[in-house]
Amino acid sequence: MMNMDNVPWCEKYRVRSFEDMKGQELAVSKVKLFLKSFPKKKAIALHGPPGVGKTSLAYAIASEMDAEVLELNASDFRNKAKIAEIVGPASQQKSLFRNNKIILIDEADGVSSMKDRGGISELLVLLEKSVFPVIFTANDIWHKKFSLLRKKADVVALKEVDYKVVLGVLSDVCEKENCVVSNEVLTSIAIKARGDIRAALNDLQILSKMDSPELLKEVGDRNKEQSIFTALQHVFQTAKIDEEMIKVYDEVNMSIDDVFLWIEENLPLAYKGEELCQAIDALSLADVFRGRIRRQRHWRFMVYEYFLLGAGVASVKKYDRSGWTQYKKPSRILKIWLQNQRSAKKKSICEKYAKHCHISIKTAMKDFMLLKVILQKPDIREGLQLTNDEIAYLDKPIVA
Amino acid sequence: MSDHYNSEVWTEKYRPKVFEDMVGQEEIIKRVKSLVNSMNIPHLLFAGPAGIGKSTLALIIVKQLFGESWRENYLELNASDERGIDVVRQKVKDFARTKALGDVPFKVIFLDEADALTREAQQALRRTMENYTSTCRFVMSCNYSSKILDPIQSRAVVFRFQLLEKKDIKRRIDLIAENEGLSISADAFDALYEASEGDCRRVINLLQATASISPNITPDLVNTIVSKAKPSDIKVVLDYALSGDFQNSREKLLDIMLKESISGQDVIKAIQKEVWNLPIDNALKVKLTEKTGEAEFRLVEGADEFIQLEALIAAFIRAGLGGESGDLKGGE
Repeated sequence: MMNMDNVPWCEKYRVRSFEDMKGQELAVSKVKLFLKSFPKKKAIALHGPPGVGKTSLAYAIASEMDAEVLELNASDFRNKAKIAEIVGPASQQKSLFRNNKIILIDEADGVSSMKDRGGISELLVLLEKSVFPVIFTANDIWHKKFSLLRKKADVVALKEVDYKVVLGVLSDVCEKENCVVSNEVLTSIAIKARGDIRAALNDLQILSKMDSPELLKEVGDRNKEQSIFTALQHVFQTAKIDEEMIKVYDEVNMSIDDVFLWIEENLPLAYKGEELCQAIDALSLADVFRGRIRRQRHWRFMVYEYFLLGAGVASVKKYDRSGWTQYKKPSRILKIWLQNQRSAKKKSICEKYAKHCHISIKTAMKDFMLLKVILQKPDIREGLQLTNDEIAYLDKPIVA
Repeated sequence: MSDHYNSEVWTEKYRPKVFEDMVGQEEIIKRVKSLVNSMNIPHLLFAGPAGIGKSTLALIIVKQLFGESWRENYLELNASDERGIDVVRQKVKDFARTKALGDVPFKVIFLDEADALTREAQQALRRTMENYTSTCRFVMSCNYSSKILDPIQSRAVVFRFQLLEKKDIKRRIDLIAENEGLSISADAFDALYEASEGDCRRVINLLQATASISPNITPDLVNTIVSKAKPSDIKVVLDYALSGDFQNSREKLLDIMLKESISGQDVIKAIQKEVWNLPIDNALKVKLTEKTGEAEFRLVEGADEFIQLEALIAAFIRAGLGGESGDLKGGE
């Protein structure tokens, strides 16, 4: 038996059966259907965000079928001849050791559509003849290089996992590893992971290696805020751009979207006048890159995003600052939420009006000042079946 | 529910019910009419600005195709309101599962504001269209066809609607005036038209709101309503900015956007119009307008509206600080 001490927990506790696949019941049932009807379709494509269990599900399929796995990674696709050499015979011959075999094309996103033209399509042609099921995993199945695959394969989506499911997995692992972590910390890891079980397990493993039990308890929200305070202080007070500045957000354990909100909130506390303007420019450029990442899924842009948020925002001043500033928590999201609560009536009125007039609720909300006048007529109110509460809202004078 | 009662909302009461009632778009109507007469339509994509008859034409199509039973064979979805493609797909699935009633072998799904769907959602939609192509026809509307994926466009017949001419809108308004016993002076109609930017739905809404005060529609009365319905003055935000007060400027901005449900792009539109009225020199106005355009471009490209508007406020603060540094590229 190999030494399991240094094996990443996400590998060590990879699920081995359908039953253990947490939070993916729908996907599992679709996979079962695929296996039942095989070889009607030769291939199945499992797609979803990172760490939700695509590869795990593939291995679960193998163990349910008692099958050997022939795994191909994105890096193996460079050479078409090599594919033919490996996949060709393998898709025909029976396994030496097991009754069955599956062919797993893991992380198919990595196959470049430019470099090896038709990479995936070429492979599909080869696999037409396969006598074994072929499993693809991918993050973005809607990329155009997968168009043929989508036609030929059963496409199964794996959903982002709910934090409670993640929490369950973490508790199980803690028990097996004999490690004591407070429920509060586990919950915060689970929430922070945003559905990525692999990330959650990695975090837990790192945490378990810290030998101070004090520290273990302290991780959580407070730690999170402390880490962003430290980063903000560095960015807002230091003029020098060095290695430390470039990596200033590395230790901050919150998502980059949260970092944006913290900087946005606190910029006016840190800078004034022309400096403030330049810092906002840097922030807005970082945001442009964030938008580009979202649209084009080119993750390398994150380098520029972080650079502009750190060095970009820091570089607007010539000299170091001193003193201590009490940075504020971001308030924008809270304000939006509060306003939504207050305008619930307005929204329900607009919903009725929008449905009646074949327009979008958004359009109705935008025209609300005008609608208020039109909706004074009693027969219109009756026709739209407005409730008393809604009518009261309409009759309420506007408070400036 | 409310569909069945005789609407007193004029945009509904006076919505054209047959092809012949529609104004403008003559070529499109002729072609659509011949398609409908053959009792078979392809997928359709209607592109063009708001309030020129896209939804109306879709409704006429289904009424012509299905007659009395149009409600059972017609599903209307608004892409900008549905929370994600999964909801759209589920609704389409539920609707398409049962066979069409009557002589026509398909049902019609009207997907309004289809350009509000993300690329990914459109990809999924395209598959959904393919899956139900034997039982459903999609009629989609959008402001800009360039925002609709090519594969979807190639599966649909695309009709580009033109902005209605002033005389066309006048024909509808005259009809309403006659029915409702209103007198509308020529000046008053001009005022209605000016305030609506060719959006017929908005003209009619303005008219109904004005008529609720008096049946004698005058320009003054129209302008009273227009100013009442106008979103809060964005100028306050700009004034704070020009005086160098970033905090108050952004607070006011967020306040207006939230309270009045205005999108970032609408705010930018208002700012762009306001710049020329500001007490600053012309060269600066040009620079600020360029900066405004840059902000709008970034929003269209998918940037965060609050952050980009704050950057725009920063440009106005620079202008207030002393002209020259208002340059987009830093100016140093």
